[in-house]
Amino acid sequence: MGKLYDLLLQDIRFEEGLNACMNCGVCTAICPAAEFYKYDPREIVDTIQTKDEEKTEALLKSETIWYCGQCMSCKTRCPRGNTPALVIMALRTLSQKLGYFTDSEKGRQQFAIKRTVGENILKYGYCVPTYAVDPKMHPEQGPIWEHIFNNIDDVMDRLGGNLKKKGSGALREIHQKNLDELDKIFEVTGGYKLYGEIENYSEKKAGEMGLEFKKEGIDNEYFRHVYTCNSDNHGK
Amino acid sequence: MGKKVVVIGGGITGMEASVQLSALGYSVTVLEKESQLGGHLNDWTVLFPNLRKGNEIVSFLEHGLELQEVNVIYNSKISGIKKINKHYEIVLDNQKQIIADAILVATGFDLFDAHRKEEFGYGIYENVITSYDLEKIFAEKGEIKTPSGINPKRIGFIHCVGSRDEKVNNHYCSNVCCVTGVKQAMELKTLIPDAEIFNFYMDMRMFDTHFEELYLESQKKYGINFIRGRLSEANETIDKRIILKVEDTLTSRPLKMTVDLLVLLVGMEPSKGTKEIAKLLNLKMRESGFLKPEDDHTLSNVSNMPGVFFAGTCSGPMSIKYTFTDARAAVTKINCYLKEYELQHRILLN
Repeated sequence: MGKLYDLLLQDIRFEEGLNACMNCGVCTAICPAAEFYKYDPREIVDTIQTKDEEKTEALLKSETIWYCGQCMSCKTRCPRGNTPALVIMALRTLSQKLGYFTDSEKGRQQFAIKRTVGENILKYGYCVPTYAVDPKMHPEQGPIWEHIFNNIDDVMDRLGGNLKKKGSGALREIHQKNLDELDKIFEVTGGYKLYGEIENYSEKKAGEMGLEFKKEGIDNEYFRHVYTCNSDNHGK
Repeated sequence: MGKKVVVIGGGITGMEASVQLSALGYSVTVLEKESQLGGHLNDWTVLFPNLRKGNEIVSFLEHGLELQEVNVIYNSKISGIKKINKHYEIVLDNQKQIIADAILVATGFDLFDAHRKEEFGYGIYENVITSYDLEKIFAEKGEIKTPSGINPKRIGFIHCVGSRDEKVNNHYCSNVCCVTGVKQAMELKTLIPDAEIFNFYMDMRMFDTHFEELYLESQKKYGINFIRGRLSEANETIDKRIILKVEDTLTSRPLKMTVDLLVLLVGMEPSKGTKEIAKLLNLKMRESGFLKPEDDHTLSNVSNMPGVFFAGTCSGPMSIKYTFTDARAAVTKINCYLKEYELQHRILLN
């Protein structure tokens, strides 16, 4: 048994996700990501099942493990009670811990996700609040979104939201007590440690790529690179 | 002589075992819940692997009953079984009591209810049918039409429906569905020569005599296509055709296909009757609910209750050939028990 396989075994999601696969392909058949990406969850599970160290390392450094949308459809279908999505989660975490994620384009995006969504949750108590989805960063949202973003107070008033205010209602301010609780959860469960590892490995990668890196924020070359770079080589 | 044996169930096992027991001189009573003998065999038009008609086997079994005296009680329902010393007293719903020196349980299987695999659309989409339904269509002998009334040009077969599937709590292989899928595909191709037929399988388990040859013939001579992948779900088009989503696992590519007719190859489950009798007699069952013998190698027809034996599909999925063999094997074992042969007392040494 390989060292990497041993590390995966320490992840409870891995233990839960992989019993024994008979390669029926039902997970790939139901998988929305497999319909568009060069992605085959059955193959990933089958590869891991071989416990081959080299192949596992290649997976941890690959684009493949980042295509899963974590919809968990595979869980609902597997006749052997496996959950490929849980195996993928364990692989992703290991890739983050070992720094292998910076070897792939999709993996490097972990840094962008950490600096945006990952920090939003701690700052606001929301992952994707309206005010954090800047149209400049999200042109795909179109002009209506831009209007909403620029007139957020008016729009929220009309829709009956409670933007950044105390009390109940959509997008209300999250009480400091709850934010402190989130902080504690990240501390205890190793979330902060993982964030730190994503930061460190990304900084190292930025150095290797000769790109400017800043300790905070999104105004730096490396962030812009991982956020916008698209080899367009992910689809079928 | 004159010892009494009660056979519970009048399918293949019950019919064959009862005449063999009668031939050995026992007084035999068959308790059949339906109004006719033959069980599932009555519903199967043509049999693998040689495409013989099902009713030929029924006739063979009936001929046995003409030659040997067997008392058959139709429409019988057992309400209780009591063990009194070395024999059993079976009480029927109509209060009739039957004494048995030995009991042969031959309560058979039920077909898997395909409604339970909701994602395959049985009972939801009209052009999704089971292998059992297809036999009924074959029996009608007319032109083959889909339930929507069109001549199917593309047909899909799904293997392992209700078998090898943790999601329906059936972990075992039903043995007969693979070869049934091959047989039915060949029959359909004969009736509709321009149809394209696709069988979606996980493994082709062609274990018995002539199965592999049949599989080869279905590909070479009939042009049946075999795709290795399990159906994830079926959907319906606006014109009632069925969309299949599978992975072709041998080329690692997801595949979407639209068929006019989808046939689900349903597996075997322990019958309701098997479970009821097991409860009445305190018989051991496997995790699957099939009856568990005292030893898998050497005592395959012997239950945990003295004088109670079983044979056929109440102990696990098996084809007609093995059902006959198993019925006759149980007769030997019962004879051994009733004659108190010393052979009876052999034990396994650890």
